[in-house]
Amino acid sequence: MRISDRRFATFLMAPAALFLAIFVAYPLFRLVADSFFKISPIAGGPRDFVGLDNYFQAFASEAFMGAGWRTLAYTLVVVALEFALGLGMALLFTMLGRNSQIWRTVFLYPLMIAPIVAGLLWKFLMIDNFGLIGTLMHQAGLLANPNQIGWLSDPNIVLFSVAIPDIWLTTSFMCLVLFAGLQNIPGDLIEAARLDGARAPAMLFRIILPLLRPVIAVALVVRGIDAARAFDTILIQTNGGPQSASETMSLLIYRTMIRFGDPGLASAMGTIYLLAMLAVAFFAVSTIWRPGKDN
Amino acid sequence: MSLADPRLHGPAATETTMPTTTVPSPPSTKAPGGTGARRRRHHAEGLEAGKRSTRTLLWILLAAAMIFYGFPFLYLLFTSFKTPIDTIAVPPTILPKEWTLENYTNALGRSGVLASFINSAQTAIISTVLSLVLAVPAAYGITRYKTPSGRVFIMAALVTRMVPPVAIGIPLASMMSAAGLADTPIALSIAHTTISLPLSIWLMSSFFEAVPKDLEEAATVDGCSRLGALWRVVIPVVSGGIAVTAIFAFLASWNEFLFALLMTAVRSQTTPVVIANFQTQFGLDWGSMTALAAVYSIPVILLTLLLQRKIVAGMTLGAVKG
Repeated sequence: MRISDRRFATFLMAPAALFLAIFVAYPLFRLVADSFFKISPIAGGPRDFVGLDNYFQAFASEAFMGAGWRTLAYTLVVVALEFALGLGMALLFTMLGRNSQIWRTVFLYPLMIAPIVAGLLWKFLMIDNFGLIGTLMHQAGLLANPNQIGWLSDPNIVLFSVAIPDIWLTTSFMCLVLFAGLQNIPGDLIEAARLDGARAPAMLFRIILPLLRPVIAVALVVRGIDAARAFDTILIQTNGGPQSASETMSLLIYRTMIRFGDPGLASAMGTIYLLAMLAVAFFAVSTIWRPGKDN
Repeated sequence: MSLADPRLHGPAATETTMPTTTVPSPPSTKAPGGTGARRRRHHAEGLEAGKRSTRTLLWILLAAAMIFYGFPFLYLLFTSFKTPIDTIAVPPTILPKEWTLENYTNALGRSGVLASFINSAQTAIISTVLSLVLAVPAAYGITRYKTPSGRVFIMAALVTRMVPPVAIGIPLASMMSAAGLADTPIALSIAHTTISLPLSIWLMSSFFEAVPKDLEEAATVDGCSRLGALWRVVIPVVSGGIAVTAIFAFLASWNEFLFALLMTAVRSQTTPVVIANFQTQFGLDWGSMTALAAVYSIPVILLTLLLQRKIVAGMTLGAVKG
């Protein structure tokens, strides 16, 4: 006896769906449930229902609001710089044509490196006293002394410094995706614009970027989501310091949970964070992507 | 300008074609083999710089960019060959004054380091297999039958990509200890699969999309069951795509840190956690840290260089569909 195609499709999808339900949906449900309780960090300790108290406490806390703004600033810096650099490299590779193929491959290598390793590596480059970047800038005459810029110790710039490994790691991804998009732009179109006398900036802003729009949207959304979740690179470089100046949302939730032993509050923060990410992602997809309208 | 450029018409012109024998071309270039190549070549021409002076300038720019981009990892490698004292010398030097393997013997000799490599590999392999076993049939079900539930399912799988690991890490860890799996590679690989499964479903869907439907229709007419057609006819055709998906699932697990930090203690600790611990335990031992980081990264960098075409195909698939 043959089952219907629809049943067969469900049968094929069921194991994966079950897996995601048990190991993603259920933990998420637990997260939301925990956010309404005051929970003792000791296993088997008391667990009291407190309603929305954890949420009030989160919004009233300076650490939470600060982490929220820092996460936003961090994400914008990472994605904007990555996009600019990635687009520049993609255009460079496109203009050089197929002779640049081997270099395109080499350019991919940071994508394979663990974020924890990238963070460690850049920490070593930027660290006070024996960091190479300060020394090289000093030798080039840019700085009066090698420690003039406290990359990872000055609270005013640390959020930017901890973003560098993230940018370094994934500019390649941006470049790769934009490069692939550029290959699909019809040559005739560029040729026609050139015959019409379009100069480079007009070509870029009037023709190339509008045509790349769907690709750009996907790349920005994918990278934006990843950057907003950054954890490894920041933890290893500064652990959120100095004075919480590089403490983003993932780090704050982690510390609230593990260090300060308040799973209820951490769950409330996690729930707000997740909802904010979903809202921003849906907004971004519906405004920049506009599926269907561009094709 | 460039239609007459002889450089574009040599045998090298074939290299932009997807390796169609192993990887089905992504949906954006459905035309098979030769014609696809011709069309793509034509597309790329529009932006290619023609003038010799412009090209020279561009090559210089590229060289500068590559040096900037490649330097950090080279510096890590150089540092790993310095003597331990030299690694924290003020001012630092780029090249080692004296080349030595001391840091490597130190790092690999520390207790738990070799075990962590085995744990990393074990976790990544289990997670890769699990992702493939679940994602391949699911993606096939989604793309071939296009049922409403399939559409809902692929959207839901994409939404799980937005879930911050820190949000589900703790509940997941307590579920694992309740199941008696605390601090085991199995528990960690399940956690890693929550990351790689949505990605694998997405990638495999794109690969199945490129397989003509007639293929398994012919097989079912010949008396194969639907499951038999999938297993004996469709899977061999997308084996290249499965390889790409496997690489991504493997890398996602190999490089993951947060779940590993939350869910492992001693027995099943993976190398990223050990690298992070080095820093807190032996603060200034940059020699060992760089050596360990190099040993952990080089296999996957080599893997990328070897399999780069497949990786490029996989990474661009989803995004370029538009």
